[in-house]
Amino acid sequence: MWGGAGVAAEDRLDAAETRHVLRRAARLARDQRSTMLATVGFIAMATATTVTGPLLVRHGIDAGIRANDRGALGVAVVGYVAVVLIAWFGARRQYVMVNIAGEGFLRSLRLRLFAHIQRQSLGFFDRHQAGVLISRMTADIESMSELVQWGLLQFVSAGILLSVAVVVLTVMSWQLTLVALCVLPVVIVASVRFQRDSNRAYLRVRDRVGRNLSMIQEHLAGVRVIQASVRTAEQRRRFADNNDELLDAHMTTVRISTWYFGVVEFCGVLATALGLAAGGWLVQTGRVSVGTVVAAILLLASLFEPVQQLSQLYNTVQSATASLRKMFDILDTEPEIDEIPGAVDLPRSGDLVVDGVGFTYPQTTARVLHDADLHIVDGERIALVGATGAGKSTLAKLVARLYDPDPDTGSISFGGVDLRRATLASLRERIVVVPQEGFLFNGTVADNLRLARPSATDDDVWAALRSIGVAERFAAMPEGIHTEVRERGSRLSAGERQLVSLARAALVDPAVLVLDEATSNLDPGTEAEVERALERLMEARTVVVVAHRLSTVRRADRIVVCEGGRIVEVGSHDDLVGRIDGRYARLAQAWEANTNTSAG
Amino acid sequence: MTERPPRAAPSRGTVRGVRSTDWSHLLDVLRERRRGIAAAVVLGVVWTGGKIAVPSLTRVAIDRSLETGSTAVGWALWIVAAGVVTGLLTAGRRYLAFRESRTVEARLRRRIHDHVLGLHMGFHDRSQTGQLMSRMSADLNQVQMFVVMVPLTVSHVALIAGVTVVLLVTDPLLALVALIPLPLITMVAKRFSDAIHPAVLAVQSEQAQLSSVVEESISGVRVVKGFGAEQVRLDAVAVEADDIQRVSLDAARVRARFLPLMELLPGLGLIGVLGIGGLRVLDGAMSVGELVAYNFYVTLLVWPLRSISMTLAFGQRAAAALERIDEVLSVAPAIVAPSEPAQLQASGGGLKVELADVHFAYGDATVLHGIDLTIDAGTSVALVGGTAAGKSTVARLLLRFYDPTAGSVRLGGIDLRDLDPDDVRRNVQMVFEDTLLFHDTVAANIAFARPDASPADITAAAAAAGADFIDDLPEGFDTVLGERGYSLSGGQRQRIAIARVLLADPAVLILDDATSAVDPAKEHEIRSAMATAMVGRTTIVIAHRPGTIAMADRVVLLDGGCIAAVGTHDELLRTEPRYRAVLADDDGAR
Repeated sequence: MWGGAGVAAEDRLDAAETRHVLRRAARLARDQRSTMLATVGFIAMATATTVTGPLLVRHGIDAGIRANDRGALGVAVVGYVAVVLIAWFGARRQYVMVNIAGEGFLRSLRLRLFAHIQRQSLGFFDRHQAGVLISRMTADIESMSELVQWGLLQFVSAGILLSVAVVVLTVMSWQLTLVALCVLPVVIVASVRFQRDSNRAYLRVRDRVGRNLSMIQEHLAGVRVIQASVRTAEQRRRFADNNDELLDAHMTTVRISTWYFGVVEFCGVLATALGLAAGGWLVQTGRVSVGTVVAAILLLASLFEPVQQLSQLYNTVQSATASLRKMFDILDTEPEIDEIPGAVDLPRSGDLVVDGVGFTYPQTTARVLHDADLHIVDGERIALVGATGAGKSTLAKLVARLYDPDPDTGSISFGGVDLRRATLASLRERIVVVPQEGFLFNGTVADNLRLARPSATDDDVWAALRSIGVAERFAAMPEGIHTEVRERGSRLSAGERQLVSLARAALVDPAVLVLDEATSNLDPGTEAEVERALERLMEARTVVVVAHRLSTVRRADRIVVCEGGRIVEVGSHDDLVGRIDGRYARLAQAWEANTNTSAG
Repeated sequence: MTERPPRAAPSRGTVRGVRSTDWSHLLDVLRERRRGIAAAVVLGVVWTGGKIAVPSLTRVAIDRSLETGSTAVGWALWIVAAGVVTGLLTAGRRYLAFRESRTVEARLRRRIHDHVLGLHMGFHDRSQTGQLMSRMSADLNQVQMFVVMVPLTVSHVALIAGVTVVLLVTDPLLALVALIPLPLITMVAKRFSDAIHPAVLAVQSEQAQLSSVVEESISGVRVVKGFGAEQVRLDAVAVEADDIQRVSLDAARVRARFLPLMELLPGLGLIGVLGIGGLRVLDGAMSVGELVAYNFYVTLLVWPLRSISMTLAFGQRAAAALERIDEVLSVAPAIVAPSEPAQLQASGGGLKVELADVHFAYGDATVLHGIDLTIDAGTSVALVGGTAAGKSTVARLLLRFYDPTAGSVRLGGIDLRDLDPDDVRRNVQMVFEDTLLFHDTVAANIAFARPDASPADITAAAAAAGADFIDDLPEGFDTVLGERGYSLSGGQRQRIAIARVLLADPAVLILDDATSAVDPAKEHEIRSAMATAMVGRTTIVIAHRPGTIAMADRVVLLDGGCIAAVGTHDELLRTEPRYRAVLADDDGAR
């Protein structure tokens, strides 16, 4: 359809920025340079008929018919056949070549962008919504695919056509060229205006389509509430309004294209008329031949399409550069957590020492952790407790180096090595975070375990499952560890997903486990099994758990109570629970009370 | 945890097996728009005349002026006049065709939406939101593309016929030579359309796969980074990126095979015109003007011939889309009001609720095996039971989302099937486990079941529900909620939902596990809001937590779709091991 890609005003780049972005894209596309050159050659071949056809007709008329020379007519016909075949061949190749070049460029852009996004540290993902990042990788790149598939093709072929046709016209008769130049500006102005208006209208349509779809989605998701609240009639009325607004937006685009197509049609006929009138006079005065007038009229008729295409291209380029700029913004973001040159491997085991650490989340100003000191002995089990926002989860994230402490504060080290000086590979091997909910990727159970150790064999996978005592459960599945878990592990229960997540950690066999205890419900059957598996996973490892349950807290060697971003109490359950007016003592009391109500 | 009705494959309308496309819905709407469509056809036919006139006038201008050495200005003016006419008609027929097709699309969309919104819950359980949405977007788009082509095609056919006649009259032999390659254009274009459609779908499907791999990698970035699995995910993305590249190249090959051929064929016609036409001019059987006119006519036919193939292809896709749409439109609502509904006698203190030997099955899966339960007006009952015990099903039957397969559900002594469902739902309100907020203000969300409520009533209901957080929202009661609006926490949503039913002031209130999504600290506040809501009504609480259960007068223990025990919380704790087991499980799950 006409109108192509829409570009919002705020996304448009100025000329200098557009040039800069395009130059940078061209550098990225260096690998495709030779393919591109070949493509241009094929495009030139494909345009052969359009320009040469009218010339051959002229030759046929002037040298053949008017001169009564059958031979010359024959030459024209044979030439025409040759030209048509060349164009056919060139056209066939151009589609394939432009695809190879364009999609090759997009493929490398996809991989480069994705690799770079993945290198970013968590702060980056806090700042950028997942949906936005995903659309950089999908919608934005797809919007460029239109440019590389059609845009380049049209740009080159329209450019070749227009320039060659104008040269040919001028050589044949400059007077007729002048006539042509009377009509073309009208088409150009109309096309540019059309592109501008239809872009605006298209953005409105896109917005209305979005509103329409989201209302449909809301109504389908909320059909229970709508029917239960006897709101069906009212929601139907609202949808009718919403639907009419969409229709209205569509009608605006229809009106805009209506006058444009009328004008273009008229200009085509006008060009013929002008060519004939001027041509008649030129023939009369003996300046040009009849064949030249015919060739000029035929040539003029074929100039309209390239002009329309070029004007359409303007928006395509605008939307592509807007997308490219957003991608370059990401590519220019250096990851906050990266391996320093000369990083060392962490030792196999050791104490985990938090020393005077302060922390502020990126892009925020309030420090959420102050002067944290904690010495965790190898093999010790630590429970972090405190209210929401007390800093316990933050501390856990720092211990796993998902973030780095504020630079002017202390450090976190494992076995005497500052985590910031460690190689990322050894860090991920020694310290593993098990998230609250088992997050699975599309693929098999084994694929999901191997996430951390792609080289692990099936035997390794089974061993990991056995080590936490859940091998039977997965052996009982129809295809064992090769069972497809589907999107987000939807084929497994929540508990089973959690088991896979634990087994994944077991496969890494880390020295330190950082756990965020689940707050959500599991089905009671698996709940107990998850508990047992977790207990086995924790054996003989240093464990830091963000705890929500009294039972977990009790089993810890030491409890760390956080409050307002500070560590306020450290000690065993027995030590702390007896403290008069201690924070932990109060917390434990509240917990007990809740459990008592629960028990009846 | 609630038992969910099993999802079956969407049913294919009423009869299984092969069905022919039902065009009746489209024809209905087309009939409503017949004037506009007829006008588009008429303009198109007149436009055909203009299009045919231009090459003929050119021929005359060449033969009478250029060839004889006299001025062509007069003829040129005629051509300009023809250009004005075709320009106006091009605009007019296009405008009408698109206006009508967009209107037809909008009307069909409303039809589907309104129909679906009134369908029974059994239908919605089976249908996937995404599927229904694509009925109302992608499928209608196919229909629209076809409808727009209908009047355009009529004039294209007229144009082809007109040009053929003109050419045959001028020179039958040359007409044959020039016209022979042209029908091939339609054939090639049709084959192209058949071949490119799956290729484009394949590209889209690969793009969707890449998108889902990227999506899970980014949503699961904590896992990816936690395990250093960046390379594994990059490899997975590379596989998808390669797939996109491969299928996209396939699509390019399809284009390469057909599109140049479509350019080649008219070229062959033009060569025939030049060669044979040239010879005939030399023989004096034809004029130069006629030769040029032939040239124009051949070019003129290319687009109409291609568009006919588009119409055929769009017609096929529209037929498939209409078939899918008909599957939805032909589902008859299962829950309808009787012709003479009984009247509920609402009293101040709630309504009596009775279930008499109620059986119920979702498809083949039986969930209730003969439930007998009477809840007196103004009293409260807690339904307790493990997963799939049938608790939520009881609630849904009371709202008449479903009818029991056997037995009867009575409200105020009247069988629900004898009542208007709207009447039932005005008297029975439910706080659903997951609170759905609409894209509207807080006030409108609270007043959802009573749109005419005064602002004072809304504020009062919010206060009674303990929704004091509303004052802290950016725009208080005018804050817009929903997916595209301000998002609330689980506990806040629950309180909005409670305020919603308080304002609706039903005789019977069903609370589905209203504390489940809530932080333990907030549980207490929700409970007191629930207690307020229960006063002066018949209340059914689907409860998991002891604190919530304790609020009810009686506890009904459901087990495997049967009532296992009835009594007070303390009684059941003492006497029922199964009750203790259910509570222990739920507590353990916390």
